[in-house]
Amino acid sequence: MCETCGCGKPVEFKIYDPSHDHDHSHDHTHNHEYPHDHEHNHDHEHSHDHEHEHDAWHSHEHDHDHYNNQSDKRLIDLNIDILSENDRLAQLNRRFFEGRKVLCLNMVSSPGSGKTSILEKTIAALKATHKMSVIEGDQQTPIDANRIEKAGAPAIQINTGSGCHLDARMIDSALKKLDVDAGSILFVENVGNLVCPAMFDLGEFKRVVVISVTEGDDKPLKYPYMFMSSQLCIINKSDLLPWVDFNTEETMKHAHSLNPGLEFIVLSAKTGEGMDLWYDWLARQARSVISPEKV
Amino acid sequence: MHEFSLAVEVIHLAEREAEKAMAKTIEEITIEIGDLSGIEANAFESALGLLVKDSVLVNAHINIIKIPGKGRCNSCDFEFEMTQMMVTCPKCNAFPSEISGGQQFRVQSLVVE
Repeated sequence: MCETCGCGKPVEFKIYDPSHDHDHSHDHTHNHEYPHDHEHNHDHEHSHDHEHEHDAWHSHEHDHDHYNNQSDKRLIDLNIDILSENDRLAQLNRRFFEGRKVLCLNMVSSPGSGKTSILEKTIAALKATHKMSVIEGDQQTPIDANRIEKAGAPAIQINTGSGCHLDARMIDSALKKLDVDAGSILFVENVGNLVCPAMFDLGEFKRVVVISVTEGDDKPLKYPYMFMSSQLCIINKSDLLPWVDFNTEETMKHAHSLNPGLEFIVLSAKTGEGMDLWYDWLARQARSVISPEKV
Repeated sequence: MHEFSLAVEVIHLAEREAEKAMAKTIEEITIEIGDLSGIEANAFESALGLLVKDSVLVNAHINIIKIPGKGRCNSCDFEFEMTQMMVTCPKCNAFPSEISGGQQFRVQSLVVE
């Protein structure tokens, strides 16, 4: 449990920094470095004479005169969104990015669509002009963070263990390890999964969904939540289009019926075709974050 | 299986609210799951069932209310029960329709003592 605010139980995920040799596990920390409000209220109007841990649910065996002492059964109307705690932490991340003028992009896709390859090429192509860093999310292994470091950008690996997505708290923890420069681009490469990451806001500026032409043009229909919550769709592996039954127009039509504002870029990280469109898009986003008045 | 982490969130939420209300026990929790919320109600219920042990909800009756999805046709304004995102209007056959209900996923209430 977070000892500062009591917001949760330990979450078992690991953070790996390729620039250090060792791997270590975290017992859930979240960032209290930048100021934020804890919006939950502890209405303790009584003082406890004894010490106790709030790590687990406990019953008070001593008497409290909080309300009447007869039958205390009460109905509490809450109507609280269950994702509200994640949304609150995501909003704190978002404010941090805004304050530092960091362009944060949440890259989501199914496994194998080529997110890491796109990022490797992007880092190689833009490192002379843009500062970039990457938070990598995978269930296991530091493979992707090592690939990114090799391409020339600092990276932090979050291993979610059995978890199927990144959440706002994990990003918060990773930000303590990764020195994100003001005015830079931060890519968050989410766990390869088109279902669960759709539910979890990380505080990103925009969400980029990557699909590849080997996956079938009905992907948007099968995984509507992800396509509804993204702002850009990259269709990767365009070099394979002559050999597969992938209809780009159909994919766009399906995705637009769910999300009319979704933008598309068709590219091949392997051959470099279309990558310029992606770099232009990135530069536009970076400008709107870093110097919004000039856009 | 994001339902598992969401079940953990529900337990945390119940802990916070019970503490706020200075409750000794939680007798009942009512959770609304919309058919179009992106949450699989059965998976969520199983996950919560596994996780309540050693939690504030150990003795609570878990009440899950499924809220049907609702759509409104963009062409003829007809409102109908929507079981999937991509359906044509049952009245005029047009597409698409706007989701007008069934996206909620929230804790409605607790009964505490």
